[in-house]
Order: sequence, then structure tokens, then C-alpha cells
Amino acid sequence: MTRLIIGRLLFMVPAALGIITFLFALFHLIPGDPAIMLAGDNAPRSVVDAIREAYGFDQPLHVQYGRYMAKVLQGDLGISNYSRDPVVNSVIPRIINTAQLAFLSMLFAMIVSLVLGCVSAMYWNRPLDKVVTVVALLGICTPVFVSGLLAIYFFSIYLGWLPISGMSSWRHFILPVITLGAFQAAVLTRMVRSCMVDALGKDYIVTARAKGAPEFLVVFKHALRNALLPIVTLFGLGLGHTLGGSVVTETIFNWPGLGRLMVNSILTRDLPITQGAIFFFAMIFILVNMIVDLVYAWVDPRIRYD
Amino acid sequence: MEFLRRYRRDTVGLFFGVLLLILYAVALTAHWITPADPMAVNLREVFSPPSAKHWLGTDQFGRDVLSRVILATQVTVKVTSFACLFAVLVGVPIGMFVGYRGGWVEAVAMRLTDMLLIFPIIMLAIVIVVVSGPTETGVVIALGIAQAPTFIRIARGVTLAAKEELYVEAAIAAGSGWPHILVRHIWPNISTPIIVQATLTLPVFVLNASALSYLGLGVQPPTPEWGQMLNEAKDHLITSPYLIVGPALALVVFVLSANLVGDAVQETLNPKLKKRK
Repeated sequence: MTRLIIGRLLFMVPAALGIITFLFALFHLIPGDPAIMLAGDNAPRSVVDAIREAYGFDQPLHVQYGRYMAKVLQGDLGISNYSRDPVVNSVIPRIINTAQLAFLSMLFAMIVSLVLGCVSAMYWNRPLDKVVTVVALLGICTPVFVSGLLAIYFFSIYLGWLPISGMSSWRHFILPVITLGAFQAAVLTRMVRSCMVDALGKDYIVTARAKGAPEFLVVFKHALRNALLPIVTLFGLGLGHTLGGSVVTETIFNWPGLGRLMVNSILTRDLPITQGAIFFFAMIFILVNMIVDLVYAWVDPRIRYD
Repeated sequence: MEFLRRYRRDTVGLFFGVLLLILYAVALTAHWITPADPMAVNLREVFSPPSAKHWLGTDQFGRDVLSRVILATQVTVKVTSFACLFAVLVGVPIGMFVGYRGGWVEAVAMRLTDMLLIFPIIMLAIVIVVVSGPTETGVVIALGIAQAPTFIRIARGVTLAAKEELYVEAAIAAGSGWPHILVRHIWPNISTPIIVQATLTLPVFVLNASALSYLGLGVQPPTPEWGQMLNEAKDHLITSPYLIVGPALALVVFVLSANLVGDAVQETLNPKLKKRK
């Protein structure tokens, strides 16, 4: 297990270098002269030239690349074009906000999907199962920006119970967490259900029932424990998708998270912030994926010996 | 024909299949069937609620929402079809090549593909849009590249199975080079599962295309798009909530139909799936 963890951690080094290289390339792939972009379209030639020199855009590419790599490795991702603050300072607090949203949404989705998935599998092919299946299907087909707007209209405007946007109190968490969580719950419920249907069809379930185990234990001990393996993988994938979905959810609810920062920086062409946001998002995804792999190896010891 | 005969037995699939065909018909004939000009600004009729004249009301510029929803159907179908085609054109040749070639090329390519698959499609698409630009073409490129890893995986999988077949061995013995074998012998045998897979991923394209537009990174105003219309409607949610009805309903119905038709097609082609459900 220790060897697996060290191996996985070492993998993050080339991955990080790859991402930094990509971010450097991004700066030069974007159409237009970066110096003009920083100075503004109507800036006088002398200002553009001064910026070009100050930022080193007049240097050969490999020199620029070396400098950029060295700066990023020292934790310097540049400064925002607008606020002139270091990128790292504006990105770090946003990561925490996004993590809160994604974590709570995932928790919500996990609980709901486990309960609904198990219940659905227990009442397989009966009316309750059909209802859950149809609701889950509708959930999958309703993007968060539709369910989010409906939720805002109903709970914030029509009933006036919950705030529309921001994150200043626990009441601000309810709508974003449920909007994002419900979509994930719909996706996961279908998969948990099919895993449980598979598990409940196995011979050891017949044995458990034959020896007189109560139905509750049969489902939650015998079937669920065996279905857990694929379910853990699904939840791991789900966490990644929740982080992806947080970009849209944050925009709907004006949530001060990393996703909204990234989208806003793209819309205002604040490239250093965009690069910083992409860098941290990428590292988070790789880290999450790594943790899922490790959990998977922990749940199923057979994987460790591969 | 055998496929159609069996597909007809699936009532849900049949109903949503017809619905999907209607939506496609709406998309193809959008320019002729809009009740009003979807772009015509009429400042005397801003925010008029649904009425006999404007079934879904008018927006902040007095434009007829129903007409805009209809035109948006065309925009969505156009963007997502091209994006899907682009993903196939990028992903399938790479997948076929590395699957056939094998060795370290395959190992490296699949390792990179797996890395890309860690990231949600919407994330990849946003990053690519930074370069390709928030236009219709930009969205096609972004979604196409973001989905390409999926097609690389699929194409590699079917190629791996096909290259063991006797007809490939015969072609090698006859002295054919690998480009000839891939194009003339393997592609005709794997094209059906790939095309089926491509159509199955259509709902994913639709959801991501409208999410990009909702974020302001997709199709730009004044061209209507469901996600972008919802984004505009959000600003007027307190005074004119009816603005979200049209685009929201169109989007959900389209994705729902595409999903259910996909399920039905899969079940028709592979009846074993149905028994398990």
C-alpha cells in the first residue's frame, strides 16, 4: 500500500510539469499579441513595447518557457491584469469555497443515491422502482442551470424562504448544494440501482434468505457490501463530475468559488487568473483521482498486487 | 429493416423517437416555421407575458420567445452534430491507429487519453474555448476535442478485436500496408458500433453546448441558444419568470428524447441488456 501511495504521488510531478507546459502554451496559442492584450487595444505603441519588454515577450520562446516554469515552481503564477494582486492570493480562498460546495453536494448525492438506489433495487420492477427510475431519468436530463433557476424562482422569489445568491450564512448553502447534489444523485441512483440489482441476484443472497436473515440485513449487509466495489468507483467519478458541475452552479448562485473566478477571468480576458484557475483545477482533479484509486485499492486488496 | 421491426415493439422508444424526429424537423425547417422574426427587436412590446400573439411571451428586446426557441433548436442541432462529427474525425483515426499499431505507441497514447478522461468534459471544453474562441465554430472545436478521448477509447477497443480476425491476416499475407488495412478492411467492420456510440453521446453534447452558452462561453447573442436564453432570462426572473419556460422545456425534452432513443436503440441491438433491467 505504501509503495502504491508513493508511486501515485510521484506521478503528480510529471503531471504538474505537463500542465505548466500547457499553460505556457496557452498564453501563446491565444490569437493576438499578448502585450497588446495586456495594454489594451488603443494603447500607444510605446506602452505596448514597454510591456513587451517588462514581461519578456521579446525573448526567444525557450527563454520565456524557462522563466515561466521557474516562476510557477516558486509558487508565483503572475498577477491579475485588473486587480494587480498576485494570482495565488485570489485563487486560494476560492478553492476553499468550491471545495465546500462540491463536498457537501457530493455528500448529499451519496446519501440520496444510496437510499434511493437500494430501495429501487429492493422493489425491483414494482411501482416504487418505476417512480424512482423515472425521477432519476428526469434528473439526468435536467441540467443544473435549469433546475437551479426553477429552484431560485420557487424557493427564493415565490416563497421567499431562501437567499438567491452569495454564501454568507448556512441558508445560502441549501439551494446550491441541493441543485448540484440532485443532478449527481440522479446519475448515481441509476448506477447504484443496477449494481444492487446485480448483487441481489447472486447465489449468496439466496443463501442468506434461506438461512432466515431479515430482509434488512440481506440488503444492507450481504448485498450492499458486495456491491460497494463498483459503487466506490462511481462515487469517485461522481466527485470529479461534481467539481465540473460546480462551475455552472457557482455561476447560477453567484458563489465565490474557483469555477466562477475562472469563467469571469475568461470573459474579462484576465489570462493570469485563467491560468491559475486551470492549474489548480487540474491539480485538484489529479489529486481526487489519485485518492479514489487509493480508496479502491484499500477496499479491494486484489488490486494492490497488479 | 429487421432493426426497425424490432424497435417498433418498444413503445417508449417509439414515442420519444417520433418526438426526436419532430424536433429535428423543427430544426431543419426553423427559418420557415417561426411565427415571428426571432431577431426583430420591438421596444413597444418588451416583456409581454404569454398571449395568443406571442405564445411564450417576449423578452427584454420585445423579441418573440417561441420563435427564438425554434431557431435555437436549429442552432443546437447544428452545433452538436458538427461537434459530434468532429470528435469522431479526431478520435476514431487515432484510436484505430494506436489499437492496430500496439506496442509503446499504444501504451503512451492510452496513458494520455486516460489522463484526459479524468477531467469532466465541460472543464476541457472551457479550457479549449479560451483558445478556439466563444463562437459557433469555437464551440464545435471545443466540444469535439473534449469528447475525442471517449472515441479514441471506443475505436481502439473495437480495432483490437478486429485486428485478430482472419481477413486482416489474409490482407497482411497479400502484402497490404497498414493504411490500406485500416481503411479498407477494419473500418467497414467497425463502423456500425462506432456510429451507434456516436449517436448515443448526443445528449452529452447538447448538455455541454448549452452549459457553455449559459456561462457566456458558447454561442453569442443575438443568435439564440437555449443555455444563453436561460442566462438572459435569469436577470428578469423576478418580473418575467415565464421567459425560462420555453428554453428550459425545449432543452429537457430534447435531452430526454435523445437519451431514451439511445437506450432503446441499444436494447434493440442487444436484447440481453433488457433482460437485466
